[in-house]
Amino acid sequence: MLNAHRWLEEIHRLPLRDTVRVMNVCGGHERSITLAGLRGALPTQVELIPGPGCPVCICPERDLYQAIQIALSEPVTLVAFGDMLRVPVNVPRRETRTLEQARSRGADVRPIASPSEAVTIARTERERDVVFFAAGFETTMAPVAAMIEQGLPPNLSVLMSGRLTWPAVAMLLDAGAAFDALVAPGHVATIMGPEQWDFVVERHHLPAAVAGFTPDSLVAAIYSVLRQKLEGKIFLDNCYPEVVRAGGNATARAMLARSFKIVDAEWRGVGVIPKSGFGLRRQYSHIDARLRFADHVDESRKRIGEMPQGCECASVVLGRIYPDQCRIFGTACTPRNPVGPCMVSDEGACRIWWSAGRRPTAA
Amino acid sequence: MCLGIPMQIKSVEGFIARCEAKGVERDVSLFMLAEGEARPGDYVVVHVGYAIQMITEQEARSAWELYDQMLSGDTSLPKEANPGA
Repeated sequence: MLNAHRWLEEIHRLPLRDTVRVMNVCGGHERSITLAGLRGALPTQVELIPGPGCPVCICPERDLYQAIQIALSEPVTLVAFGDMLRVPVNVPRRETRTLEQARSRGADVRPIASPSEAVTIARTERERDVVFFAAGFETTMAPVAAMIEQGLPPNLSVLMSGRLTWPAVAMLLDAGAAFDALVAPGHVATIMGPEQWDFVVERHHLPAAVAGFTPDSLVAAIYSVLRQKLEGKIFLDNCYPEVVRAGGNATARAMLARSFKIVDAEWRGVGVIPKSGFGLRRQYSHIDARLRFADHVDESRKRIGEMPQGCECASVVLGRIYPDQCRIFGTACTPRNPVGPCMVSDEGACRIWWSAGRRPTAA
Repeated sequence: MCLGIPMQIKSVEGFIARCEAKGVERDVSLFMLAEGEARPGDYVVVHVGYAIQMITEQEARSAWELYDQMLSGDTSLPKEANPGA
């Protein structure tokens, strides 16, 4: 395989004339692209657009509110992937806005790095109910399905908030999205198979390539989609063959199918995207935290389901603006005092751009 | 959140493998791989404590080399990488 430098040379040899907008839908891709400085190394005609690739960023505000309220009002331990703890919901400042604040106000909220930690905590503290707030894309929901299939202790329940990646891309394309090619997410394709992205090529006639997380693989994928576009011969390329195989991980996919049904689901700041969420199948209703605990949805809240006030995360997530085009990027919103989820999560484009030294563009 | 790290399997007990990468050891679930697919000495890509796929030793090593470069701060591609600049 050629390395990134050689692929870049090949890209610079391509007779590009018009601008080509290449979207990625994976926070890991965006991090590699930004840290490696790929944007500066590519011809000016190539735009790399971060799209909906951060599950924390689009985690429904309602679900987060529900998790915070369960943690505050029920005698439970609430566990969640660490990124979720600092994401704010839309409530007045005097109220509890994040899981982290809930913890500082006495709730037992713990960050975990693996679903198996949720099981360990529940087994260790048998007298206490443990709620796993499970947000993530396919790559993360497959381990959640594996956890469920192995059997949960009776005191462990799951607050589901998992999402599928491709329906958001389909929605963008159906709406006439402003991109010309797609770099598809490598570890989602590792689980689900690259075929999930065939629709980009077959239905929308856009070049697409699955990429891994090294600059080598990413630049190879960018070269592939540019060349496909120039030559007019489009197909779904696989630039991460080390782990992305036809059909994906069949064992993991079978577990996903046995544990979850696919449901219409809300994306924060975006709205409901058809068939884009994982919901527990009926046989697992006994582990559904939504059924085990009271429903804390308060429809009278202001900006319910929306991104925080003043924050343009929704436009960032949908690839309509770059992070530094948000009015509050790097001024009112920084990693130390994040306003929107894209500045909270390590997968959020705003956080990644800030970490790489991007600062507000001069007005 | 979808980050995967290549690790080498040191030992296997049931569905749990003791895995190592860069001197760090972790327990990793093999439950999402086909039964008997992963053995001690093999390399796997690990996400949130679960092996999501097998990977060859060479691929694991080259991935680690590149991650090392990225983590060491030697992240940006050198100027000469951009022939158009």
